[in-house]
Amino acid sequence: MNVLPCSVNTLKGLYDISGVEVGQHFYWQRGGFQVHAQVLITSWVVIAILLGSAVIAVRNPQTILTNGQNFFEHVLEFIRDLSKTQIGEEYGPWVPFIGTMFLFIFVSNWSGALLPRKIIQLPHGELAAPTNDINTTVALALLTSVAYFYAGLSKKGLGYFGKYIQPTILLPINILEDFTKPLSLSFRLFGNILADELVVVVLVSLVPSVVPIPVMFLGLFTSGIQALIFATLAAAYIGESMEGHH
Amino acid sequence: MSNMIMASSSKTLITSPSIQSKAPKLPQFTTLKIRCQATQTSSNKIKTPTLNLNSLKSTAAIAAAVLTMAPPALAEQIEKAALFDFNLTLPLIMAEFLILMFALDKIYYTPLGNFMDARDKDIREKLNSVKDTSAEVKELDEQAAAIMRAARAEIAAALNQMKKETTVEVEAQMAEGRKKLEAELAEALGNLENQKEETIKALDSQIAALSDEIVKKVLPV
Repeated sequence: MNVLPCSVNTLKGLYDISGVEVGQHFYWQRGGFQVHAQVLITSWVVIAILLGSAVIAVRNPQTILTNGQNFFEHVLEFIRDLSKTQIGEEYGPWVPFIGTMFLFIFVSNWSGALLPRKIIQLPHGELAAPTNDINTTVALALLTSVAYFYAGLSKKGLGYFGKYIQPTILLPINILEDFTKPLSLSFRLFGNILADELVVVVLVSLVPSVVPIPVMFLGLFTSGIQALIFATLAAAYIGESMEGHH
Repeated sequence: MSNMIMASSSKTLITSPSIQSKAPKLPQFTTLKIRCQATQTSSNKIKTPTLNLNSLKSTAAIAAAVLTMAPPALAEQIEKAALFDFNLTLPLIMAEFLILMFALDKIYYTPLGNFMDARDKDIREKLNSVKDTSAEVKELDEQAAAIMRAARAEIAAALNQMKKETTVEVEAQMAEGRKKLEAELAEALGNLENQKEETIKALDSQIAALSDEIVKKVLPV
Protein backbone atom coordinates (compact mmCIF):
# COMPACT_ATOMS: atom_id res chain seq x y z
CA MET A 1 0.00 0.00 0.00
CA ASN A 2 2.64 2.51 -0.95
CA VAL A 3 -0.06 4.27 -2.92
CA LEU A 4 -1.39 5.96 0.13
CA PRO A 5 1.62 8.01 1.23
CA CYS A 6 2.45 9.17 -2.25
CA SER A 7 -1.10 10.20 -2.97
CA VAL A 8 -1.25 12.01 0.32
CA ASN A 9 1.96 13.73 -0.63
CA THR A 10 0.42 14.75 -3.89
CA LEU A 11 -2.65 16.07 -2.22
CA LYS A 12 -0.46 17.94 0.20
CA GLY A 13 1.49 19.33 -2.71
CA LEU A 14 -1.70 20.38 -4.44
CA TYR A 15 -2.86 21.89 -1.22
CA ASP A 16 0.39 23.78 -0.88
CA ILE A 17 0.07 25.11 -4.40
CA SER A 18 -3.55 26.10 -4.15
CA GLY A 19 -3.27 27.06 -0.53
CA VAL A 20 -3.40 30.64 0.29
CA GLU A 21 -3.02 29.49 3.82
CA VAL A 22 -5.77 31.06 5.84
CA GLY A 23 -6.65 30.27 9.38
CA GLN A 24 -3.30 29.07 10.62
CA HIS A 25 -3.20 29.41 14.36
CA PHE A 26 -0.50 29.43 16.95
CA TYR A 27 -1.99 27.26 19.63
CA TRP A 28 -1.46 27.41 23.32
CA GLN A 29 -2.63 24.51 25.37
CA ARG A 30 -4.29 25.35 28.65
CA GLY A 31 -5.44 22.32 30.59
CA GLY A 32 -7.21 20.55 27.77
CA PHE A 33 -8.34 23.76 26.15
CA GLN A 34 -6.75 25.33 23.15
CA VAL A 35 -6.43 29.03 22.62
CA HIS A 36 -5.30 31.05 19.63
CA ALA A 37 -2.24 32.67 21.05
CA GLN A 38 -1.77 35.14 18.22
CA VAL A 39 -5.24 36.55 18.81
CA LEU A 40 -4.66 36.91 22.52
CA ILE A 41 -1.25 38.52 22.05
CA THR A 42 -2.54 41.06 19.56
CA SER A 43 -5.58 41.79 21.68
CA TRP A 44 -3.28 42.49 24.61
CA VAL A 45 -1.35 44.89 22.41
CA VAL A 46 -4.60 46.62 21.42
CA ILE A 47 -5.74 46.84 25.03
CA ALA A 48 -2.36 48.19 26.08
CA ILE A 49 -2.50 50.84 23.35
CA LEU A 50 -6.00 51.90 24.36
CA LEU A 51 -5.40 52.00 28.10
CA GLY A 52 -1.97 53.58 27.79
CA SER A 53 -3.03 56.37 25.47
CA ALA A 54 -6.16 57.03 27.52
CA VAL A 55 -4.15 57.23 30.74
CA ILE A 56 -1.58 59.56 29.21
CA ALA A 57 -4.13 61.83 27.56
CA VAL A 58 -6.72 62.03 30.33
CA ARG A 59 -4.60 61.77 33.47
CA ASN A 60 -4.71 65.50 34.10
CA PRO A 61 -7.59 67.19 32.27
CA GLN A 62 -7.06 70.85 31.46
CA THR A 63 -9.75 73.43 30.90
CA ILE A 64 -7.76 74.74 27.99
CA LEU A 65 -7.11 71.75 25.80
CA THR A 66 -3.87 70.04 25.04
CA ASN A 67 -3.63 68.12 21.79
CA GLY A 68 -4.00 64.64 23.24
CA GLN A 69 -6.91 65.61 25.43
CA ASN A 70 -8.56 67.38 22.51
CA PHE A 71 -8.38 64.19 20.46
CA PHE A 72 -9.80 62.06 23.24
CA GLU A 73 -12.57 64.55 23.89
CA HIS A 74 -13.44 64.45 20.21
CA VAL A 75 -13.58 60.67 20.33
CA LEU A 76 -15.76 60.74 23.41
CA GLU A 77 -18.06 63.31 21.84
CA PHE A 78 -18.30 61.11 18.77
CA ILE A 79 -19.17 58.04 20.84
CA ARG A 80 -21.73 59.95 22.88
CA ASP A 81 -23.26 61.34 19.73
CA LEU A 82 -23.45 57.89 18.18
CA SER A 83 -25.02 56.39 21.31
CA LYS A 84 -27.46 59.26 21.62
CA THR A 85 -28.69 59.05 18.05
CA GLN A 86 -29.18 55.29 18.25
CA ILE A 87 -30.35 54.77 21.84
CA GLY A 88 -32.04 58.05 22.64
CA GLU A 89 -32.03 60.09 25.81
CA GLU A 90 -31.12 57.23 28.15
CA TYR A 91 -27.85 56.61 26.38
CA GLY A 92 -25.65 57.45 29.38
CA PRO A 93 -25.05 53.98 30.85
CA TRP A 94 -24.34 52.51 27.42
CA VAL A 95 -21.54 54.85 26.47
CA PRO A 96 -18.81 52.58 27.90
CA PHE A 97 -20.13 49.55 26.05
CA ILE A 98 -20.58 51.25 22.69
CA GLY A 99 -17.38 53.21 23.07
CA THR A 100 -15.26 50.21 23.99
CA MET A 101 -16.84 48.24 21.16
CA PHE A 102 -15.94 50.95 18.68
CA LEU A 103 -12.46 51.64 20.01
CA PHE A 104 -11.50 48.00 20.42
CA ILE A 105 -12.60 47.04 16.92
CA PHE A 106 -11.15 50.17 15.37
CA VAL A 107 -7.75 49.86 17.02
CA SER A 108 -7.72 46.13 16.31
CA ASN A 109 -8.43 46.64 12.62
CA TRP A 110 -5.92 49.40 12.20
CA SER A 111 -3.30 47.58 14.21
CA GLY A 112 -3.64 44.70 11.78
CA ALA A 113 -3.03 47.07 8.90
CA LEU A 114 -0.48 49.43 10.38
CA LEU A 115 1.72 47.74 12.96
CA PRO A 116 4.80 46.05 11.52
CA ARG A 117 4.10 42.70 13.06
CA LYS A 118 6.26 40.65 10.77
CA ILE A 119 9.19 41.61 12.97
CA ILE A 120 7.94 39.10 15.51
CA GLN A 121 7.89 35.60 14.11
CA LEU A 122 5.61 33.04 15.68
CA PRO A 123 6.34 29.32 15.45
CA HIS A 124 3.04 28.86 13.67
CA GLY A 125 0.53 31.28 12.31
CA GLU A 126 1.11 35.00 12.32
CA LEU A 127 0.21 38.08 14.29
CA ALA A 128 -2.68 39.89 12.65
CA ALA A 129 -5.68 41.94 13.65
CA PRO A 130 -7.56 40.21 16.49
CA THR A 131 -10.74 40.87 14.55
CA ASN A 132 -9.78 38.54 11.75
CA ASP A 133 -10.32 35.59 14.04
CA ILE A 134 -13.88 34.32 14.24
CA ASN A 135 -13.55 33.84 18.01
CA THR A 136 -13.11 37.55 18.57
CA THR A 137 -15.96 38.67 16.35
CA VAL A 138 -18.35 36.07 17.74
CA ALA A 139 -17.36 37.04 21.27
CA LEU A 140 -18.14 40.68 20.54
CA ALA A 141 -21.39 39.81 18.76
CA LEU A 142 -22.55 37.60 21.63
CA LEU A 143 -21.75 40.36 24.10
CA THR A 144 -23.89 42.65 21.98
CA SER A 145 -26.74 40.14 22.14
CA VAL A 146 -26.40 39.88 25.90
CA ALA A 147 -26.28 43.66 26.10
CA TYR A 148 -29.50 44.25 24.21
CA PHE A 149 -31.33 41.52 26.09
CA TYR A 150 -30.12 43.06 29.34
CA ALA A 151 -31.16 46.52 28.16
CA GLY A 152 -34.65 45.37 27.23
CA LEU A 153 -35.20 43.25 30.32
CA SER A 154 -33.90 45.86 32.75
CA LYS A 155 -36.04 48.54 31.14
CA LYS A 156 -39.29 46.66 30.70
CA GLY A 157 -38.96 43.48 32.73
CA LEU A 158 -40.61 40.44 31.24
CA GLY A 159 -42.82 42.74 29.21
CA TYR A 160 -39.83 42.96 26.91
CA PHE A 161 -40.85 39.65 25.38
CA GLY A 162 -44.18 41.19 24.48
CA LYS A 163 -42.57 42.74 21.43
CA TYR A 164 -42.05 39.25 20.00
CA ILE A 165 -45.77 38.81 19.54
CA GLN A 166 -46.60 42.28 18.45
CA PRO A 167 -48.14 40.83 15.39
CA THR A 168 -48.34 37.19 16.48
CA ILE A 169 -47.56 35.98 12.98
CA LEU A 170 -44.09 37.48 13.18
CA LEU A 171 -43.11 35.47 16.26
CA PRO A 172 -40.83 33.04 14.37
CA ILE A 173 -39.17 35.87 12.50
CA ASN A 174 -38.66 37.81 15.69
CA ILE A 175 -37.07 34.80 17.35
CA LEU A 176 -34.97 34.18 14.27
CA GLU A 177 -33.77 37.75 14.43
CA ASP A 178 -32.10 37.12 17.75
CA PHE A 179 -29.94 34.55 16.02
CA THR A 180 -29.31 36.45 12.82
CA LYS A 181 -28.23 39.60 14.62
CA PRO A 182 -25.07 38.20 16.24
CA LEU A 183 -24.46 36.02 13.23
CA SER A 184 -24.51 38.90 10.79
CA LEU A 185 -22.54 41.15 13.13
CA SER A 186 -19.75 38.66 13.67
CA PHE A 187 -19.50 37.41 10.11
CA ARG A 188 -19.60 40.87 8.62
CA LEU A 189 -16.66 42.01 10.70
CA PHE A 190 -14.73 38.77 10.36
CA GLY A 191 -15.24 38.55 6.61
CA ASN A 192 -14.38 42.15 5.92
CA ILE A 193 -11.19 42.20 7.92
CA LEU A 194 -10.01 38.81 6.69
CA ALA A 195 -10.82 39.65 3.09
CA ASP A 196 -9.11 42.98 3.41
CA GLU A 197 -5.90 41.45 4.71
CA LEU A 198 -6.05 38.73 2.07
CA VAL A 199 -6.50 41.20 -0.75
CA VAL A 200 -3.55 43.24 0.43
CA VAL A 201 -1.38 40.17 0.86
CA VAL A 202 -2.25 38.70 -2.51
CA LEU A 203 -1.69 42.00 -4.25
CA VAL A 204 1.63 42.46 -2.47
CA SER A 205 2.71 39.03 -3.55
CA LEU A 206 1.74 39.77 -7.14
CA VAL A 207 3.04 43.32 -7.44
CA PRO A 208 5.29 44.12 -4.55
CA SER A 209 5.57 47.88 -4.99
CA VAL A 210 3.17 50.70 -5.83
CA VAL A 211 -0.01 48.88 -6.80
CA PRO A 212 -1.13 47.65 -3.35
CA ILE A 213 -0.94 51.09 -1.76
CA PRO A 214 -4.45 52.27 -2.80
CA VAL A 215 -5.82 48.93 -1.69
CA MET A 216 -4.09 49.38 1.65
CA PHE A 217 -5.72 52.77 2.03
CA LEU A 218 -9.03 51.25 1.05
CA GLY A 219 -8.35 48.64 3.74
CA LEU A 220 -7.82 51.33 6.35
CA PHE A 221 -11.04 52.97 5.25
CA THR A 222 -13.10 49.77 5.39
CA SER A 223 -11.54 48.93 8.75
CA GLY A 224 -12.79 52.18 10.18
CA ILE A 225 -16.17 51.75 8.54
CA GLN A 226 -16.52 48.23 9.94
CA ALA A 227 -15.79 49.44 13.45
CA LEU A 228 -18.35 52.19 13.02
CA ILE A 229 -20.92 49.78 11.62
CA PHE A 230 -20.45 47.31 14.44
CA ALA A 231 -20.76 49.98 17.12
CA THR A 232 -23.71 51.64 15.40
CA LEU A 233 -25.59 48.38 14.97
CA ALA A 234 -24.91 47.37 18.57
CA ALA A 235 -26.26 50.71 19.72
CA ALA A 236 -29.23 50.40 17.37
CA TYR A 237 -30.10 46.94 18.75
CA ILE A 238 -29.86 48.22 22.30
CA GLY A 239 -31.97 51.22 21.43
CA GLU A 240 -34.50 49.04 19.66
CA SER A 241 -34.93 46.76 22.65
CA MET A 242 -35.28 49.75 24.98
CA GLU A 243 -37.78 51.76 22.98
CA GLY A 244 -41.41 51.54 23.95
CA HIS A 245 -43.58 49.34 21.79
CA HIS A 246 -47.14 50.57 21.57
CA MET B 1 -1.20 35.15 8.70
CA SER B 2 -0.28 37.54 5.92
CA ASN B 3 3.29 36.50 6.51
CA MET B 4 2.41 32.91 5.81
CA ILE B 5 0.30 33.70 2.84
CA MET B 6 3.11 35.81 1.55
CA ALA B 7 5.46 32.95 2.03
CA SER B 8 3.23 30.45 0.35
CA SER B 9 2.26 32.68 -2.50
CA SER B 10 5.77 33.88 -3.03
CA LYS B 11 6.71 30.28 -3.40
CA THR B 12 3.88 29.56 -5.73
CA LEU B 13 3.19 32.74 -7.55
CA ILE B 14 6.38 34.68 -7.91
CA THR B 15 9.24 32.24 -8.03
CA SER B 16 8.75 29.91 -10.88
CA PRO B 17 11.56 27.56 -9.76
CA SER B 18 9.50 26.45 -6.81
CA ILE B 19 6.66 25.54 -9.13
CA GLN B 20 9.11 23.59 -11.17
CA SER B 21 10.31 21.87 -8.06
CA LYS B 22 6.80 20.90 -7.19
CA ALA B 23 5.65 20.04 -10.65
CA PRO B 24 7.64 16.82 -10.86
CA LYS B 25 5.64 15.46 -7.95
CA LEU B 26 2.60 14.92 -10.10
CA PRO B 27 4.33 12.74 -12.66
CA GLN B 28 6.00 10.94 -9.78
CA PHE B 29 2.63 10.16 -8.33
CA THR B 30 1.26 8.91 -11.62
CA THR B 31 4.31 6.83 -12.29
CA LEU B 32 4.09 5.40 -8.81
CA LYS B 33 0.50 4.62 -9.27
CA ILE B 34 1.21 2.99 -12.57
CA ARG B 35 4.03 1.08 -10.93
CA CYS B 36 1.62 -0.05 -8.23
CA GLN B 37 -0.74 -1.17 -10.86
CA ALA B 38 2.13 -2.85 -12.63
CA THR B 39 3.12 -4.75 -9.49
CA GLN B 40 -0.46 -5.72 -8.93
CA THR B 41 -0.90 -6.91 -12.45
CA SER B 42 2.46 -8.65 -12.43
CA SER B 43 1.43 -10.60 -9.34
CA ASN B 44 -1.71 -11.66 -11.16
CA LYS B 45 0.15 -12.26 -14.35
CA ILE B 46 -0.40 -15.97 -14.48
CA LYS B 47 -4.09 -15.68 -14.12
CA THR B 48 -6.65 -15.25 -16.83
CA PRO B 49 -7.91 -11.94 -18.25
CA THR B 50 -10.99 -12.26 -16.06
CA LEU B 51 -8.72 -12.24 -13.06
CA ASN B 52 -6.96 -9.33 -14.61
CA LEU B 53 -10.28 -7.60 -14.55
CA ASN B 54 -10.49 -8.58 -10.91
CA SER B 55 -7.12 -7.07 -10.33
CA LEU B 56 -8.29 -3.94 -12.01
CA LYS B 57 -11.24 -4.00 -9.70
CA SER B 58 -8.93 -4.40 -6.77
CA THR B 59 -6.86 -1.44 -7.91
CA ALA B 60 -10.06 0.50 -8.22
CA ALA B 61 -10.88 -0.55 -4.68
CA ILE B 62 -7.47 0.56 -3.55
CA ALA B 63 -7.96 3.85 -5.32
CA ALA B 64 -11.32 4.19 -3.64
CA ALA B 65 -9.68 3.31 -0.35
CA VAL B 66 -7.05 5.93 -1.04
CA LEU B 67 -9.73 8.46 -1.77
CA THR B 68 -11.60 7.55 1.37
CA MET B 69 -8.44 7.37 3.40
CA ALA B 70 -7.09 10.61 2.01
CA PRO B 71 -9.78 12.89 3.42
CA PRO B 72 -8.69 12.26 7.02
CA ALA B 73 -5.17 13.27 6.11
CA LEU B 74 -6.48 16.18 4.08
CA ALA B 75 -8.89 16.99 6.85
CA GLU B 76 -5.95 17.09 9.19
CA GLN B 77 -4.33 19.62 6.93
CA ILE B 78 -7.48 21.65 6.67
CA GLU B 79 -8.06 21.38 10.37
CA LYS B 80 -4.81 23.21 10.84
CA ALA B 81 -6.12 25.88 8.50
CA ALA B 82 -9.17 26.34 10.65
CA LEU B 83 -11.15 29.43 9.86
CA PHE B 84 -14.08 28.53 12.08
CA ASP B 85 -12.14 27.16 14.96
CA PHE B 86 -13.99 27.99 18.13
CA ASN B 87 -12.17 27.38 21.36
CA LEU B 88 -11.28 28.99 24.66
CA THR B 89 -10.19 32.13 22.82
CA LEU B 90 -13.81 33.21 22.57
CA PRO B 91 -14.60 33.46 26.30
CA LEU B 92 -11.15 34.88 26.94
CA ILE B 93 -11.79 37.67 24.43
CA MET B 94 -15.16 38.28 26.07
CA ALA B 95 -13.49 38.60 29.46
CA GLU B 96 -10.79 40.85 28.02
CA PHE B 97 -13.42 43.04 26.43
CA LEU B 98 -15.35 43.38 29.67
CA ILE B 99 -12.19 44.18 31.61
CA LEU B 100 -11.24 46.73 28.97
CA MET B 101 -14.71 48.22 29.17
CA PHE B 102 -14.56 48.69 32.91
CA ALA B 103 -10.99 49.96 32.82
CA LEU B 104 -11.75 52.47 30.07
CA ASP B 105 -14.87 53.52 31.93
CA LYS B 106 -12.80 54.19 35.03
CA ILE B 107 -9.95 56.03 33.35
CA TYR B 108 -11.53 57.54 30.28
CA TYR B 109 -15.28 57.80 29.78
CA THR B 110 -16.38 58.73 33.28
CA PRO B 111 -13.59 61.13 34.33
CA LEU B 112 -13.28 62.90 31.01
CA GLY B 113 -17.06 62.91 30.53
CA ASN B 114 -17.60 64.44 33.97
CA PHE B 115 -14.85 66.92 33.32
CA MET B 116 -16.37 67.94 30.00
CA ASP B 117 -19.84 68.24 31.52
CA ALA B 118 -18.49 70.35 34.37
CA ARG B 119 -16.69 72.61 31.93
CA ASP B 120 -19.80 72.93 29.78
CA LYS B 121 -21.82 73.87 32.84
CA ASP B 122 -19.16 76.33 33.93
CA ILE B 123 -19.07 78.01 30.55
CA ARG B 124 -22.85 78.13 30.36
CA GLU B 125 -23.03 79.72 33.81
CA LYS B 126 -20.42 82.27 32.85
CA LEU B 127 -22.32 83.08 29.69
CA ASN B 128 -25.55 83.47 31.63
CA SER B 129 -23.86 85.69 34.18
CA VAL B 130 -22.54 87.81 31.34
CA LYS B 131 -26.05 88.11 30.00
CA ASP B 132 -27.23 89.17 33.51
CA THR B 133 -24.63 91.92 33.77
CA SER B 134 -26.21 93.65 30.81
CA ALA B 135 -28.84 94.95 33.30
CA GLU B 136 -26.06 95.95 35.63
CA VAL B 137 -24.38 97.76 32.81
CA LYS B 138 -27.62 99.61 32.09
CA GLU B 139 -27.88 100.61 35.72
CA LEU B 140 -24.31 101.82 35.71
CA ASP B 141 -25.04 103.71 32.53
CA GLU B 142 -27.99 105.40 34.19
CA GLN B 143 -25.89 106.25 37.19
CA ALA B 144 -23.31 107.78 34.96
CA ALA B 145 -26.02 109.76 33.17
CA ALA B 146 -27.36 110.97 36.51
CA ILE B 147 -23.93 112.00 37.65
CA MET B 148 -23.46 113.86 34.41
CA ARG B 149 -26.81 115.55 34.81
CA ALA B 150 -25.99 116.57 38.37
CA ALA B 151 -22.64 117.88 37.33
CA ARG B 152 -24.21 119.79 34.50
CA ALA B 153 -26.82 121.28 36.88
CA GLU B 154 -24.14 122.21 39.36
CA ILE B 155 -22.11 123.87 36.71
CA ALA B 156 -25.19 125.72 35.44
CA ALA B 157 -25.97 126.90 38.96
CA ALA B 158 -22.46 128.09 39.52
CA LEU B 159 -22.55 129.81 36.19
CA ASN B 160 -25.82 131.53 37.04
CA GLN B 161 -24.51 132.64 40.39
CA MET B 162 -21.41 134.01 38.82
CA LYS B 163 -23.49 135.78 36.23
CA LYS B 164 -25.67 137.23 38.94
CA GLU B 165 -22.72 138.36 40.97
CA THR B 166 -21.08 139.99 38.04
CA THR B 167 -24.27 141.74 37.01
CA VAL B 168 -24.73 143.11 40.52
CA GLU B 169 -21.19 144.36 40.51
CA VAL B 170 -21.55 145.82 37.09
CA GLU B 171 -24.80 147.48 38.07
CA ALA B 172 -23.23 148.91 41.19
CA GLN B 173 -20.40 150.25 39.19
CA MET B 174 -22.83 151.62 36.64
CA ALA B 175 -24.94 153.24 39.34
CA GLU B 176 -21.87 154.80 40.81
CA GLY B 177 -20.83 156.05 37.42
CA ARG B 178 -24.28 157.47 36.80
CA LYS B 179 -24.32 159.17 40.18
CA LYS B 180 -20.98 160.74 39.46
CA LEU B 181 -22.22 161.76 36.08
CA GLU B 182 -25.36 163.28 37.55
CA ALA B 183 -23.37 165.13 40.15
CA GLU B 184 -21.11 166.48 37.47
CA LEU B 185 -24.13 167.38 35.40
CA ALA B 186 -25.78 169.13 38.32
CA GLU B 187 -22.61 170.97 39.03
CA ALA B 188 -22.26 171.94 35.42
CA LEU B 189 -25.89 173.05 35.34
CA GLY B 190 -25.38 175.07 38.56
CA ASN B 191 -22.37 176.74 37.02
CA LEU B 192 -24.36 177.45 33.89
CA GLU B 193 -27.17 178.96 35.97
CA ASN B 194 -24.73 181.12 37.88
CA GLN B 195 -23.15 182.33 34.69
CA LYS B 196 -26.59 182.99 33.28
CA GLU B 197 -27.59 185.04 36.30
CA GLU B 198 -24.33 186.91 36.21
CA THR B 199 -24.78 187.56 32.53
CA ILE B 200 -28.35 188.68 33.14
CA LYS B 201 -27.15 190.93 36.00
CA ALA B 202 -24.50 192.33 33.75
CA LEU B 203 -27.04 192.79 31.02
CA ASP B 204 -29.41 194.51 33.46
CA SER B 205 -26.81 197.09 34.30
CA GLN B 206 -25.97 197.48 30.65
CA ILE B 207 -29.68 197.77 29.83
CA ALA B 208 -29.98 200.79 32.08
CA ALA B 209 -26.98 202.45 30.45
CA LEU B 210 -28.19 201.56 26.99
CA SER B 211 -31.65 202.81 27.64
CA ASP B 212 -30.17 206.11 28.94
CA GLU B 213 -28.11 206.38 25.76
CA ILE B 214 -31.15 205.56 23.57
CA VAL B 215 -33.22 208.12 25.43
CA LYS B 216 -30.53 210.74 25.00
CA LYS B 217 -30.24 209.98 21.33
CA VAL B 218 -33.98 209.89 20.66
CA LEU B 219 -34.89 212.80 22.76
CA PRO B 220 -33.00 215.81 21.81
CA VAL B 221 -32.43 217.59 24.86
